[in-house]
Amino acid sequence: MKAYQELYFLFFDGLHRFSFSFVKSKEVAEEIVSDVFIKIWQMRSRITEINNLKVYLYTVTKNFSINYIHRNYKNASLSIDEMDIEPVVELSNPEELFISAEMLNTIRQVIQELPPQCRLVFQLVKEDGLKYKEAAEVMNISVLTVRNQLAIAVKKIGTALPAYIQASFPSIKGFSAS
Amino acid sequence: MTEERFWLLISLKLSGEALTEELAELEAYLQDHPEKRMQAERVNAILLTSSKTSALHKEAAFNKHMQRLSNHLSEPVLQYESKDDKDLVPDEKKRNPSIYKKLAWVTGIAASLFIAWFAIFDFSPGTKTDESTAQNTISTKRGSKSKIQLPDGTEVWLNADSKITYNENFQGDIREVQLSGEAFFDVVKDEKRPFIIHTDVIDVKVLGTAFNVRSYANEKNTETSLIRGSVEISLRSSPDKKFTLKPNDKLIVRNEEVKAVVGKTTTEKKENKPILLTWDKINYEKSDSSAKEILWVKNKLSFDGEPMEEIALKIERWYDVKVNIDDRIKKVDYTGTFEGESLQQVMEALQFSGKFQYTINKKEVTIRPAQNH
Repeated sequence: MKAYQELYFLFFDGLHRFSFSFVKSKEVAEEIVSDVFIKIWQMRSRITEINNLKVYLYTVTKNFSINYIHRNYKNASLSIDEMDIEPVVELSNPEELFISAEMLNTIRQVIQELPPQCRLVFQLVKEDGLKYKEAAEVMNISVLTVRNQLAIAVKKIGTALPAYIQASFPSIKGFSAS
Repeated sequence: MTEERFWLLISLKLSGEALTEELAELEAYLQDHPEKRMQAERVNAILLTSSKTSALHKEAAFNKHMQRLSNHLSEPVLQYESKDDKDLVPDEKKRNPSIYKKLAWVTGIAASLFIAWFAIFDFSPGTKTDESTAQNTISTKRGSKSKIQLPDGTEVWLNADSKITYNENFQGDIREVQLSGEAFFDVVKDEKRPFIIHTDVIDVKVLGTAFNVRSYANEKNTETSLIRGSVEISLRSSPDKKFTLKPNDKLIVRNEEVKAVVGKTTTEKKENKPILLTWDKINYEKSDSSAKEILWVKNKLSFDGEPMEEIALKIERWYDVKVNIDDRIKKVDYTGTFEGESLQQVMEALQFSGKFQYTINKKEVTIRPAQNH
């Protein structure tokens, strides 16, 4: 029972966020995550047969979320790329980044304008720390697609920022000159 | 380097997916293009923040989830699940709902072949021991077990709520003990001095062997399971009838039948009713081929397709609690093996396999059928 709770705590945020991107309701997303964990409980005897539990959890969450949309919205699209996906991507607050709130909104706007699938992939890798391979499995696309979509997302965000703040930007470890 | 290549390398690095060569390529490029380094750092700073989590929200969500889980057990259809989702892991339906850690579930009743026979229910001490010699009595309370060594070296594991009595010096032509409850014996071989175990219902005579005797006064059966060697069992009611067990044999004597018989006849006389007893085989666990009958010796609580009323007795002894069961659930069979689990965990697991609700109030467990939705 303790292991079950730990598993729930470990994945709740990520799965809730992922589901929310589809269903856009915190309450519904919570129910869906709960259903996912009921399913895990049901199949707890065979949990070791699952290759990658993380991928499994995200995949089931995606499927349950899409099922919800189909059940509740008529004429809902079957393709993720035609769905209305709400990205949940956390950005630092402007003070920490030495950029204006306005600029942060610009970045949000950029993320919002990414194609739905691209947004989800970006969210899975950035927020949930999934590997490209894992994100590819969850989204049922190739690793190459994930790789390309991440590059597109990062490029769009990177180029959306005006050049003039560059000088005042503090050095961040990881990219500082050595 | 093209813009695309640059951002691809940046994205790979940020995602932790970049290869050593790619990192080197990026670093070399940034050396030559300091203005690009600024851009890279900015994206890095913006994107490396991850979401803050609220432990409080998680806790509340988990509690709500557990509520839904327990409701769900009585109505096992997931509202957001479609048929396709069930195929994510193969063969879900074909398998038995099976093992979770130490839990082994088997639905349905274990098919065992039974042959009739008899037994006797008799509270008289029944031992042939000389009453003048001092008696050693070792007993276990509910919720505890004990391992003892008899003067001849024989080892005895005494299960909960059991008692074994023997002559202090343990001398003489025969080694005799009186047992009520359940014990596993590993008897030291001594052909000149047979070892005899007296219970209310049967006498078990052995030379050197390992076996389990289960003879609780409040249970329907007296069981003898032979692991190795050979034992000879005679019925207290008809001592001339003897049954020899071979390894893996299990003899089950029905206490209840005897009780009825005792009402009409004396224990000395042959009853006119047919004797009721059962030949069975020891049940071996597939996983580690240990006999289910003696799992308790290894501190495992095991039910093997047993009805709730019998399980309740085991739980009462094991955890030293009182179990109240609703009549409607008494005959429902359950199977499971538990090691080191708390009473609550055991109840929860059983509850999952069968539709009942339980409450634990201090030392009292109450089991009712689940309400149908």
